[in-house]
Formats: sequence, C-alpha cells, structure tokens
Amino acid sequence: MRPAGLPFRRASVVSLEAMAQAPTTDPRFTEIETHRAYLVRYALSQLRDPGLAEEAVQEALLAALEGIGRFDGRSTLRTWLTSILRFKVIDIQRRRTAERSNVDIDEERLADEHESWLDEMFDETGHWRSPPQAWNDPEAALEQRRFWQAFEKCLGGLPATAGRVFFKREVLGEDTPVICKDEGITSSNCWVILHRARIALRNCLERNWFGQEAAHGS
Amino acid sequence: MEAEDDLNCRQASRLLSLACERPLAADELRALKMHLDECLMCTNFEQQLKFLHKAASAFRTGD
Repeated sequence: MRPAGLPFRRASVVSLEAMAQAPTTDPRFTEIETHRAYLVRYALSQLRDPGLAEEAVQEALLAALEGIGRFDGRSTLRTWLTSILRFKVIDIQRRRTAERSNVDIDEERLADEHESWLDEMFDETGHWRSPPQAWNDPEAALEQRRFWQAFEKCLGGLPATAGRVFFKREVLGEDTPVICKDEGITSSNCWVILHRARIALRNCLERNWFGQEAAHGS
Repeated sequence: MEAEDDLNCRQASRLLSLACERPLAADELRALKMHLDECLMCTNFEQQLKFLHKAASAFRTGD
C-alpha cells in the first residue's frame, strides 16, 4: 500500500499508440473491446467516480492486452477481464483509503446514521413497518435483462459507503474483515452498514420489480 | 441466554444478515430458529438475503 500522504496518482489515459505496441494479430483484441461498456459499468458501481472508473478500466485493458497469452479459455473472456479489473479496482480503492486516512472521518457518526435508518424500518416493538412479502419466482428474474437494469439501479441508489461495502462483499465476494480493514471501520460498524445495504436493496427490488410483477411482464 | 429466546423482527433480521458475515453462536441460532418458526416475514427476508447473494454473484460474472 502507498504511504498515506502521498498525492493520489491519476494514471494518464492510455494512448492508442501504447495499445498498438502489443501484437495486433490476435482476434481477441477486438473482442476485448466489446466488453468495455460492461467493465466501465462494473468499475463505476464500485468506485462511483467516472474518472477513477475509466482509469481502472484502462489499466485492466492494458494488462489484458499484455497478458492475453495467459488467457486459457477456461473461463469466458468477460470473466477473465473482470478478474483483472477487480484487482485494479481494489488497488485504486486502497490508494484512496490511504488518502482518506489523512482526513478525519467521523466513523461513529456514519454508524449512527445507518443505525437510525434501520430504526425507521421497524416500529417501537421491533416489528417490520413494511413487512417483507414473498417474492414470486425470484430465480426467473435472473434470466431477465430488465431485472438486471433494476438491480443495477437499486445498487447505484444505495448510500455511497453502503453501496461500496455491499459491492465488495456480495459482488466481489471479498472477506468481511478485509473489507472493514480497507474501509478503516470496525467490524460491528461494517456489519451495520451491510445490514442496511441488504434491507435497502431488498426494499428497492420489491418496489421496482417483485412488487409489480404484472407491470413489467417477462 | 434467556432474554435472547424472544427475538423481535429487528433483532432476527440483524442476525440473519450477520450470518452472512460470521457463523452464529449456538444461542443466537436457537433464538433465530424459534423466531423464524413463527414469523413468515422474517422467513421471507431470509430467502431474499439468499437471493441477493445469488444475484450479486451473478452480477459479477455477467454471463
């Protein structure tokens, strides 16, 4: 990790000339480019900063071009690209956390905010204010393109920290202790944030998808 | 822990979420199971947590 206090480095945009120095005979180079939009979306949902997302994707694509010989075709190209991007994203997050550690972040205030949001979800006896309904055939939703648009929108609607932590935990599949450490927050605050993210996400999906089955059809 | 045996939905949902982060202790599990046996809403929530987990993993692979 970079020592805290160093200015954050923004990679210069990779030039086409640099890309062209890689051998261009492999047809997979063109195919790599077709996954770019997905990769940008992925980086954006994690970094929430268009400039940083673009930087992560540029770095990942360059690494992919250099390492295409190591792609053995056992996973799909997209999965392979995503795994490269994942490390770039984590690297950028670490740099950013190192930077932020200089700034005094009021962790307790952050945790309180999430805790009081959770308070709102339950009445004074601890019952759901708006009880979770049974969802009709959720598995089928996974096959529907428009479900994923709703899912992405709901992910993007989470508060910044909750969205970032949830994404690391559930989408990237990182271990909770690692996430808490990277975020510089205690486990118990990390848990509160994840809990909030899960409730907020299920509420959002119920509002936008499962609660109006008839409205979107299949 | 006697007091744990009577969870409300707020506590039960928290344990359900916590179970995604660490193994629950025996008394937590027992109290949670007692609550879920009686509570359809939290059972729905439990199913939805599993679904969120599955959907999020699928979102990563994007295939």
